[in-house]
Amino acid sequence: MPAVRYLCLRIGHGLLVLLGVSLLSFLLAAAAPGTFADELRLDPRVSPETIATLQARYGANRPVAEQYVLWLRSIGRGEFGFSVIYNGPVGPLLWPRVRNTLLLTVPATVFAWLIAVPIGAWAAAGRGGWLDRSTTAVTTALAGIPEIVLGVGLLFIAVRTGYFPTGGMTSLDFDDLAPWQKMRDVVSHFFLPVAALALISLPVLVRHVRASLGEVLRAPFIQAARAAGVPERRLLFRHALRVGANPLISLAGLSAAGLLSASLVIETIMSWPGLGPLMLDAVLARDLHVVVAAATCSTVLLIAGNLCADGLLYLADPRIRIGRFS
Amino acid sequence: MTRRALWMLAAGALVCTYTLSAAPQTSAAPEWLVTRADEGRSGGQLVVIERAEPRTLNPVIAVDAPSKDVIARTTADLIHFDRETQQPQPALARSWTASPDGRHFTLSLRRGIRFSDGEPFDADDVLFSFRVYQDEKVGSPQRDQLIVGEKPMAVRKIDEYTVQVDLAEPYAVGERLFDSLAMLPRHLLDRPYTEGRLPQLWGLGTAPQAIAGLGPFRLREHVVGQRMVLERNPFYWKTDRAGHHLPYLDRVVFTFVPSEDAQAVRFQSGDADVTTRLSAANFDVLFRDRGGRNYDLLDLGPGLDYTFLFFNQNSLAADAPAPVARARAWFRQLAFRQAVSLAIDREAIVRLVYKGRAVPLWGHVPPGNKLWVNRTLAKPPRSVEQARARLRMAGFSWNAAGMLMDRDGQPVAFTIVTNTGNTERNQIATIIQDDLRQLGIAVNVAALELRALLDRLLNTHDYEACVLGLGGSDGDPSNEMNVWLSSGGTHLWNPGQPQPGTAWEAEIDTLMRRQLVIRDMQERKRLYDRVQALVAENLPIISLVSPNVLVGVTKGLGNLRPTIFDHHALWNVEELFWRGRPSGAAR
Amino acid sequence: MRRGRKGALAALAVLYLFAIFAGFLAPYDPAAQARDLAFSPPSRQHVLGTDGFGRDQLSRLLYGARISLLAGPLGAAISIAGAVLLGGAAGFFGGWIDALIMRTGELFVAVPWFYLLFAVRMAMPLRVEPAQAFLMILALVALVGWARPARLIRGVVLSARTRDYVVAARSLGASNVHLLRRHVLPQLIGVTLTQAALLAPQYILAEATLSFFGLGVGEPVPSWGNMLAVLQRYDVLSSYWWMFIPAAALVAIVLLYSMLADPLHDGAGGR
Repeated sequence: MPAVRYLCLRIGHGLLVLLGVSLLSFLLAAAAPGTFADELRLDPRVSPETIATLQARYGANRPVAEQYVLWLRSIGRGEFGFSVIYNGPVGPLLWPRVRNTLLLTVPATVFAWLIAVPIGAWAAAGRGGWLDRSTTAVTTALAGIPEIVLGVGLLFIAVRTGYFPTGGMTSLDFDDLAPWQKMRDVVSHFFLPVAALALISLPVLVRHVRASLGEVLRAPFIQAARAAGVPERRLLFRHALRVGANPLISLAGLSAAGLLSASLVIETIMSWPGLGPLMLDAVLARDLHVVVAAATCSTVLLIAGNLCADGLLYLADPRIRIGRFS
Repeated sequence: MTRRALWMLAAGALVCTYTLSAAPQTSAAPEWLVTRADEGRSGGQLVVIERAEPRTLNPVIAVDAPSKDVIARTTADLIHFDRETQQPQPALARSWTASPDGRHFTLSLRRGIRFSDGEPFDADDVLFSFRVYQDEKVGSPQRDQLIVGEKPMAVRKIDEYTVQVDLAEPYAVGERLFDSLAMLPRHLLDRPYTEGRLPQLWGLGTAPQAIAGLGPFRLREHVVGQRMVLERNPFYWKTDRAGHHLPYLDRVVFTFVPSEDAQAVRFQSGDADVTTRLSAANFDVLFRDRGGRNYDLLDLGPGLDYTFLFFNQNSLAADAPAPVARARAWFRQLAFRQAVSLAIDREAIVRLVYKGRAVPLWGHVPPGNKLWVNRTLAKPPRSVEQARARLRMAGFSWNAAGMLMDRDGQPVAFTIVTNTGNTERNQIATIIQDDLRQLGIAVNVAALELRALLDRLLNTHDYEACVLGLGGSDGDPSNEMNVWLSSGGTHLWNPGQPQPGTAWEAEIDTLMRRQLVIRDMQERKRLYDRVQALVAENLPIISLVSPNVLVGVTKGLGNLRPTIFDHHALWNVEELFWRGRPSGAAR
Repeated sequence: MRRGRKGALAALAVLYLFAIFAGFLAPYDPAAQARDLAFSPPSRQHVLGTDGFGRDQLSRLLYGARISLLAGPLGAAISIAGAVLLGGAAGFFGGWIDALIMRTGELFVAVPWFYLLFAVRMAMPLRVEPAQAFLMILALVALVGWARPARLIRGVVLSARTRDYVVAARSLGASNVHLLRRHVLPQLIGVTLTQAALLAPQYILAEATLSFFGLGVGEPVPSWGNMLAVLQRYDVLSSYWWMFIPAAALVAIVLLYSMLADPLHDGAGGR
């Protein structure tokens, strides 16, 4: 079974990548100036000896190689390292936040694609028409706004209209709500960050859908089909989309990764309890193990996304099988 | 009926004695502390914005502000400094006596009070707490405060409710040593401590039942990344005048909002009741757009923070490159520093950066610190001409293009570093840059991420000038020993000198050491006034501005008496109550 | 279509000329602070209003274009060059080369590079020109940014290579070079240009994020990135509409880039 062999190979490669990512993160983090204890040094009431004790306790002055091996060992215990600023294992810090980040990015990815495919397809079909021009204008405008500004802008709208909560994931009385009220509560909190993430990824998606479909639509077989009287909509979504899907599937794997980094900013601004604020805080505080664990975690998501994309590619485009296994 | 404590607020008294006005009682009747605050009504919750998630609930190891904010509501100290009067008041110690030389304190503990899990509190808990804080292996950041004269404070048990504390040397305000030092429950922590697990205890995943303190509230629930819910501690040891048990509020919710702008939005939307640390710019926006919204915005006037510019005056290694040595030579000239100070438009900083909600500074103690500020310091107005005159006299000159040249004909240029994430400091640096351009000095501004900046300031000393802020504690000069002693680690412009490098630094060393050991408040003030004058004359740091403390609070909160001390609105959280309506932030 | 491209090209040329001759065109010194006019709306003296220090926005926009109009294409060019080289090789050769390059790409996407940037900024002397420091950082960001476009390019090359006619040509004994030139390269141009048009504004925007970490263009040197970064402040966003003008300028540039990329695409694909 070549497919199974392929899968095993990819998972093996994935593990190597994870090892590489964690190692590189470790090296880079160790090269960055400052340590977690520097914050204390500005407090005139704390003596240098106390700071030295702290650093020694958390092994901050051991060689990087030794620290890395220690970290790898802690994975075996399910701890994923020790957070110096939270004073505990990293694993329990990470899991709920990974879940929350997925809760945000998965719907955002789905929404973005659901919007991008029809818009891009119609724009490609009506090249140069008003729809094409206006979608191009809107998506480029979106591409010209920094993520942070978009996030603050949406919050501004939320506070002005009062329709949406201004951040967080659940309301204060969440535990007292009935199940359907809980649903509604979470969805209303979802709305702004999901919208922000979808808007951020939309320009790239629309342009790629449009570009790859535009190419297919000029292919001889489509021209022939059109001449044979196949309806335009059927042509677009049945035939052209299947053929043009290849680069789009590649992109899908990537767009998940892109959203993950965009969510770092959006989560921080919208106070969403995901990986983003944790990671940012850990980077700024030099909490080495949290950063490395979070980076490794997002790599897992990334590799999974790419693997899915390649799997789809494998199913969608039989020619690739020949290419790879001949 | 509960007993009533009487307190005398005697500023500058050599011996402070607090006694119970009532007759001695049986140990069974708890000795409540009766507050003087307005009588309120019970119920409701208060939603408070916190800028980050607390990292621990362990009072022994907490260093970050969010953790301290929460811990201060769940724990209590022996002697507490009133955040309004800046005077010591009885807390867990119902009374105390101090020996005339200030070396021996005898504390009488409040009898019959209990931790939030219902277990009793007595002298053994106090002894245990001190042992933990002072233990080198535990590495508590409070440890250094409990070492006076290079020796740890000695704590002895006299009886079940009396402890004696001995200091190796006289100390100016011994009472301050007890403030904010949370008393720990021995029954919960003794075993983990002997097993060496104490620093890892009470992290974020801990079950609420496993944590106990003596504060007005106790942990109810922690929702990861979102909020921490505290509930009323039914065993709290304060009552109001009518004998109602405090606190009035049922719950206090700390909700985590990482970005400053999102905090303003969250407060404006009515989803939170209290926000402190508002920027002046956002304060103005919230004021303008308050519409029919139900909040008050309070400008408490200048606080305890001071922002300043300083130059790197470190002693150089022998192999330092010539440009570095040259720059150091400018920075060490008093005339150069005076010229820079004269050229800086402090009023513009107040106006542009703080929208008028700040005060310009010419000395390092801000006027918010009413007890200690030296009001006689000169406040030379901005004058580019005088600045130029100073430079000319010191041998500087200007070339044809108007650039400032030093004695050797080298152009004067330097880089000001400051930290990212602090909009105000970056704006201040930009204003200074433009001001100094008028002296013909080319200034670069480099914003560095905080750890990278501290690494340069404190480890590598590879910088030229820096805009930084200090402050935030209770304003007593004993907090700033390490800043002003020439041997101190945060003696920023030239830290850790083996011998004071200048005569005025030597004088400051003497003054600071002296004020630390005498108990006469007026004399201490006189000594510290002299320190302020010396700093203002010699300008090792060029004081710039002290921002106002800006607080936003939902209307209708009774007993709210915000102060410039931490925590601005919650320091008397046990007394806060909702007038009229039953609860705070709606949803 | 051709008309659109020419128009876009002309407009871009004008903008670049504006940037080059900013010294002549700008009415004020971009760093000069008119402190009594902080945040004043557009007027006859300040056509596009002033910022929080009372600096003239028009002058800052013109001077800022110098850095930003250079940074965008430069960053995009570096990333795309790396992507075409590595992604192309991966797609064309397949097998273990493909696996190696693609897995390395995943590694590059996932590693937290800002640590590298901190370290580099630390190693740089403080007294380096703000613009110069930023361009160095940007080049580094672009250099490690090859992985994302590379995946797309690999996909295109892979499917081009496996098209029937290419397979046929290969079985007829066509050389690799010939295959590349005749069949794969034309397919690539479209994707590459679309990517470049998308990446260029991203690198201009990246500066807003970089300055969050203290790695952007330092004051008082104007750039579109640091002008945009001001917009993330709630007070500015909600109070001073003219501070959105740099965003509008950036949108215009993005539009022009994409117009330039698109008709070329048509020309290449239509052949």
